[in-house]
Amino acid sequence: MNFLAASIESLGAKVTGWFTVGYGIFAFLAKAVLLLLLDRTIWNRATFDVVIKQVYFTSVQILHVFLGYALVISWLIITIILSTARDFGLTEFASEMTIRVLVLELLPFLTALFIALRSGSAINTEIALMQVNNELDALAHCKVPPMQFEFLPRLIGGVISVITLAGLAGLLALLLAYLSIYGLSMAGFEPFTQTFAKIFNLQIMAGLIAKCALFGLAVTLIPITAGLETPKKLFMVPVSVLRGMMRVFFAIVAIEVVSLALKYI
Amino acid sequence: MLAAVAALPDDVARVALDLPLRANLSALDNIALIPLYQSHFDATESTRQAQAMLERLGFAGIAPLRDPDMTPAQRFATQLARALILQRPRLVIDRPGAMLYDVPYPAFIRQLAEQAAMTGTWEIYDFSWNQPLYNQALDSE
Amino acid sequence: MNTLHFKVGLFAAASLLLAGVFLVYLLHARGFFEDTVHLQLAAASADGVAPGVPVVFSGIEIGRVTTLGLNDNGGIIIHTEFLARNAKWLKENSSFTLDKPIVGGAKIRVDSPDLNAPALPDNATMLLTTSDVSKEIPVLVERVKAILANVEHLTRKDGEINATLANVKTVTGRMTGEYGVLESVLGSPEKARAVTDSLDKTRALITKLDGMALKMDGMATKADRWLFASGGIADQASGSMAQVRLMLTDAQASLKKADALMANAVAISADVKEGTQDIAKLRAEIDDAVRKANALVNEINKMWPFARDPEVNLP
Repeated sequence: MNFLAASIESLGAKVTGWFTVGYGIFAFLAKAVLLLLLDRTIWNRATFDVVIKQVYFTSVQILHVFLGYALVISWLIITIILSTARDFGLTEFASEMTIRVLVLELLPFLTALFIALRSGSAINTEIALMQVNNELDALAHCKVPPMQFEFLPRLIGGVISVITLAGLAGLLALLLAYLSIYGLSMAGFEPFTQTFAKIFNLQIMAGLIAKCALFGLAVTLIPITAGLETPKKLFMVPVSVLRGMMRVFFAIVAIEVVSLALKYI
Repeated sequence: MLAAVAALPDDVARVALDLPLRANLSALDNIALIPLYQSHFDATESTRQAQAMLERLGFAGIAPLRDPDMTPAQRFATQLARALILQRPRLVIDRPGAMLYDVPYPAFIRQLAEQAAMTGTWEIYDFSWNQPLYNQALDSE
Repeated sequence: MNTLHFKVGLFAAASLLLAGVFLVYLLHARGFFEDTVHLQLAAASADGVAPGVPVVFSGIEIGRVTTLGLNDNGGIIIHTEFLARNAKWLKENSSFTLDKPIVGGAKIRVDSPDLNAPALPDNATMLLTTSDVSKEIPVLVERVKAILANVEHLTRKDGEINATLANVKTVTGRMTGEYGVLESVLGSPEKARAVTDSLDKTRALITKLDGMALKMDGMATKADRWLFASGGIADQASGSMAQVRLMLTDAQASLKKADALMANAVAISADVKEGTQDIAKLRAEIDDAVRKANALVNEINKMWPFARDPEVNLP
């Protein structure tokens, strides 16, 4: 009986914990969005400069690495799809399959994972260290708003970066798919355009951009809130990063699953 | 008494160990944040003001340094500059001994205060057993 | 100059440029800059047609079905839409066929035999015919079965061929008897007619089987076109077709032999002894043909499981 009570209690504690975390994330997001929408004073050069710095660190700095990686992955997947399609005599579906698998699903997902691993973990560590070192208190004392100065630029930078990088990788994959299927000639342009037009309608485009934006938000918002939760003890920083990255991973998978469900069910 | 220092009202600028500099910004950027976000000056003007403040304290050379690269004296000077540029009527230096552990700090602070030549009051809170140090260097400031 | 800002600026400019190019391409692909041409197709049944079903010309999609509706006479009117650049493939002598392949979705195929013919006007109405491989195969199997039933009927124990054989026996008996050769042929007109009748039937059956074999050939080429050019199901399908054809040729050969033997018997060779041996051989040959024909029906059912069971075995 005691065992049962204890299990129920621990389950309750876990559920409460999840709710607290979720509430924290959404409350923070609401605060950021309200600030962005309502406070005209933050639309200034200073915020813009920090956003530019964040975009630089999250996307421009790694652009060549990222594009190389997207190239290799796209080339592999396209080759696999093409050879399978040829084996089964379904070549006419190859370009559609490539676009659906790569451009709409795999590349945005991998981009989000890439940014999460590189920038998300860095953001989580940095915010946790700022919290532990009292740097946030110092900023508060100086009346420099950390939301505007530190957090919001990271959120905006994350969203911009994931959308742009996923878009660039998608364009690269489209080009690569065309070259793999039709080679260096304009002969396939018409059928490719037809397939392209069939897949990309307004809903799909809006869904793709919304999905990338959500990915961008997840890989920055969750690390920030996880960092802010860190108790003021240095040894808690790794724990904070660990928790934050775990949540980021779950969030990315959840966004992908929901988007697939909305698209195909 | 220490709790009272931490709970001082908003119009007091504090220099204290528990209000560190932003670690990934240079000394100049740390100071320039204040005019940038409080008075909404543009980046050039804020940087100019911050540089002027550092020059006034005699530490113009440390502008590009970040927190971990500074000596305790340089770090203190940056924190002081950040507090001064807030332009609040009172300035409280909380336990300078903890920050300036490798210089004879009462004399050092006095020298800085002369160079800054700012209006307003500077108050130093310190442990009572450090009282003799101040008596040698200066009268109550 | 701030290199960080320069790099971000370059990145933003390049991305915006690419996004712009992408948007223009997208709008072009979706025909935003073009007029659309509409066409109505009249069909007997809307089975398998739904909005979004592609209209293909030479394997390339040139338009899609937008809406379906009934007209006042209860016929189906399918509205299709084409981009102006694709409308040039629609000619007045174009034929429109609804294809429902075993693998893949339904599509409407346009065949324009003469590309110099005058173009179809906007909002024209054309007839949609149906060609359905999955419907045609069971029909074919039914026909093969009917033919084989016919063969069985001919060769049943008290059937015409048996009777004929009995007749032949009598004839040969008579030949050896006192009536002589001429009398044996002309002596009994009814019996003579029975022999010719069953011979005619056998010949008709052979012609039918010939037709079947031709049809099978046609089916195989058609199937090649309907399914995919090479590999996978396509190979298996045309392989099965080839086998059916082989088996039919086999049956046909057996029956031809029977025909030859019958002809031989009726010609009443002078060598009576040889004649009786031929008749025994004929019996065996016809039995053989029937067995093979039965096996054929089973084989066809096995090889085209979708006739009863929609499952298609992928390799």
